[in-house]
Amino acid sequence: MKNVYDGKAAAGGLQVSYYDSDPGNTQAEIIVLLHGTGGSAQNNFWALFPMLAMRHRVIALDFIDPESGCPEADHYVEQADAVIRHVALDKAVHLVGYSFGAVIAALYAARRRSCLASLTLVAGWVKTDTQQKLRNSIWRSLYESGHEALGSFSVLTSFSQAFLNSKNEAEIEGLVRSVETGPDRSRKMEFNKNVDIGDELADIQVPSLVVGCLQDQMVPIRHSRMLFGAIADCRYAEVVSGHGIVHERPSELFTLIDMFVRDPKGMPAGHVVKNSHA
Amino acid sequence: MHDSSKIDRSQGGMPVKTEVLIIGSGFSGLGMAVALKREGKRDFIVLERASDVGGTWRDNTYPGAACDIQSHLYSYSFRPNPEWSRVYAPQPEILEYLRATARDEGIIPHVRFDETVVDASWDPAESEWRVKTSSGEYRALALVSAAGHLSDPSYPDIAGLASFQGEIFHSARWDHAYEPAGKRIGVIGTGASAIQIVPELARVADHLTVFQRSAPYVIPRRDHVYSPAEKGLFARFPEAAQDLRDELFWGNESRFPQRRQVPAFIEQITELALNHLKNQVPDDALREKLTPSYAIGCKRILLSNDYYPTLMRPNVSLQTTGISHIDPHGVVLKNQERVDLDLLVVATGFEATELPIAQVIHGSDGQSLAANWEAGGQAYACTTVSGFPNFFMMLGPNTGLGAGSMIFMIETQINYIREGIGFIFDNAACIDPCPQAQRDYVESIYRRSAGSVWIEGGCSSWYLHPSSGKLTTLWPDFMSQFRKENGSFSPGGYRVDARVSAEPAGQQALVGQA
Repeated sequence: MKNVYDGKAAAGGLQVSYYDSDPGNTQAEIIVLLHGTGGSAQNNFWALFPMLAMRHRVIALDFIDPESGCPEADHYVEQADAVIRHVALDKAVHLVGYSFGAVIAALYAARRRSCLASLTLVAGWVKTDTQQKLRNSIWRSLYESGHEALGSFSVLTSFSQAFLNSKNEAEIEGLVRSVETGPDRSRKMEFNKNVDIGDELADIQVPSLVVGCLQDQMVPIRHSRMLFGAIADCRYAEVVSGHGIVHERPSELFTLIDMFVRDPKGMPAGHVVKNSHA
Repeated sequence: MHDSSKIDRSQGGMPVKTEVLIIGSGFSGLGMAVALKREGKRDFIVLERASDVGGTWRDNTYPGAACDIQSHLYSYSFRPNPEWSRVYAPQPEILEYLRATARDEGIIPHVRFDETVVDASWDPAESEWRVKTSSGEYRALALVSAAGHLSDPSYPDIAGLASFQGEIFHSARWDHAYEPAGKRIGVIGTGASAIQIVPELARVADHLTVFQRSAPYVIPRRDHVYSPAEKGLFARFPEAAQDLRDELFWGNESRFPQRRQVPAFIEQITELALNHLKNQVPDDALREKLTPSYAIGCKRILLSNDYYPTLMRPNVSLQTTGISHIDPHGVVLKNQERVDLDLLVVATGFEATELPIAQVIHGSDGQSLAANWEAGGQAYACTTVSGFPNFFMMLGPNTGLGAGSMIFMIETQINYIREGIGFIFDNAACIDPCPQAQRDYVESIYRRSAGSVWIEGGCSSWYLHPSSGKLTTLWPDFMSQFRKENGSFSPGGYRVDARVSAEPAGQQALVGQA
């Protein structure tokens, strides 16, 4: 990314890499982006990061998975915390989590309330349900057996019908290839299997926005509606997109986040954003 | 085309009075008229210099004319059309859509055809616009210019152009009586019109020469014919057409960072264009000529599947030497070689940076809009101009798009103007943007243009004002931001005066509200 600086923040024994669009700018609002299961800062936020960076200071980090065992949420929450403290010092930031990153962002908001100006949860969920576990187990068996269908299965479940239909064969192959060569998902998939953060959501006190994806097969829309139901000071928006909203509709997601962080309390708690049609 | 003899033009030489005058009945003027008609509050007249509605879609009838924006997006949101024949509808279908809109919405009786505006002046004494046309005079309390920015053909400044003895016409003034089959044809220009015309003419020409000044970026055109099932789906589930419209809109919106030169976006689109060129043009020498020398997006990115293949036909040549001058028999190149021609097609676009309509519109101090805009067009909220009370400009300064549907911009302006007109009449007011508010607004646009590909991309385009170098035609931000900023009228930023001729009873003093 042009004019993007990278740095490292110490989290326990780990050095967490992050990107910063405008280091040292203490005037601008700071938005911190947490990526999803199959992602990295670059791979999930290649579009959203520069869009938000036209108006704000944007930080995105790359989560580091634990080397072994089933990851604990705190492992990731601490990495987010390390980066936020390192770049923002005492300034409250706007935290945006996508998918797996939304689960971590929600826990962060519940556990470290003072550091945040707002919270946005995109395609997140409260508790892994049976439908998700089924997909997770298919993914696991394809992964363990090294099956050639792993990449296309991920692409099939990541995107909406309309998005896939708008691509030609070569572009679909490109998407499959990018999954195959992307970051390893197995640790986070293990984590995703047993998410249950319902008890902690009541502790979130910062103004929040939940963005759900109407065509999402990985985290179906009901999960976002439940997040909205669970967080008291929360607004809600739905986007016609698959789970891969960061690729399918980055500009629509950008307009929602931009509007929200400019005035987190501008819309009252319980407000449902009306889709603006072209 | 329309029988205007039944319409009272100027009763006995007396000016025709109306509340709102709209100049032009293309996509913008027609849409504005529909909004006023549906609202049903205001009396209005539309002045049209031609004998049919449709604006640029009426004038551009050249072979192969079609829109580069998908039709389900490039149409009024308030008049969805499930019957579009294909993704990118051809020109006759778009024109028919506009004619049907004018007819079905009851606009035709409001249109005065074959009347060219020769002067529009604000009369401060009467607080009204006096508009002289080629055949009468009108007075109105509010004036909307919807004359468009792709209306008046622009001709290249080439020595001897007028001396050419063969047939010559501009792409927007196609002479369908002329038979191009078997002729030696030259096409000047490689813009959006040219690359649609070239494949059509190449099929019939004896020889076709394309005179290229700079190579455009061309990407694949993803077009297909809509099946009866798809059309039926759009007809019976209007929400499916709306979903498609939204998908297309946000798809374009997501391409905006290309224009901000965000590397990841630039890489994607450049790769798409250069791969298209590589796949279609195996010949190294030809490919070299067709490889653009400026940053992508600096000029309009074109869509075509048949332009490159056409250039490889034996009866087609791409000429990049540069034109020295034109003589009675054809084109003389800078290397003194000559290309003799029967027909010369000028496909060099439109007068977009210095709009001809601006020469005939005069504000409160008598100055023309053109003089006011000598250093580059500017407007408050991209729509109103200080010193021009109760005047609204559609598709004026900074409303054009590098990638996106102009209909979105038009509909945004329609709503702003409809509300502005409502304010004028509800308050018996004259509104005039404060000079400072306008300056601040225009400054914000220049700030946003800085660092964009249009300014820094190293090309010469119609997006920039020739003498000032300012970006005066394009909107340099997200389209959704345009609607956020300019989609709704507010009297803040305006000087609001009571109308001079208004009845005094019940009128409050509105001066100084801004």
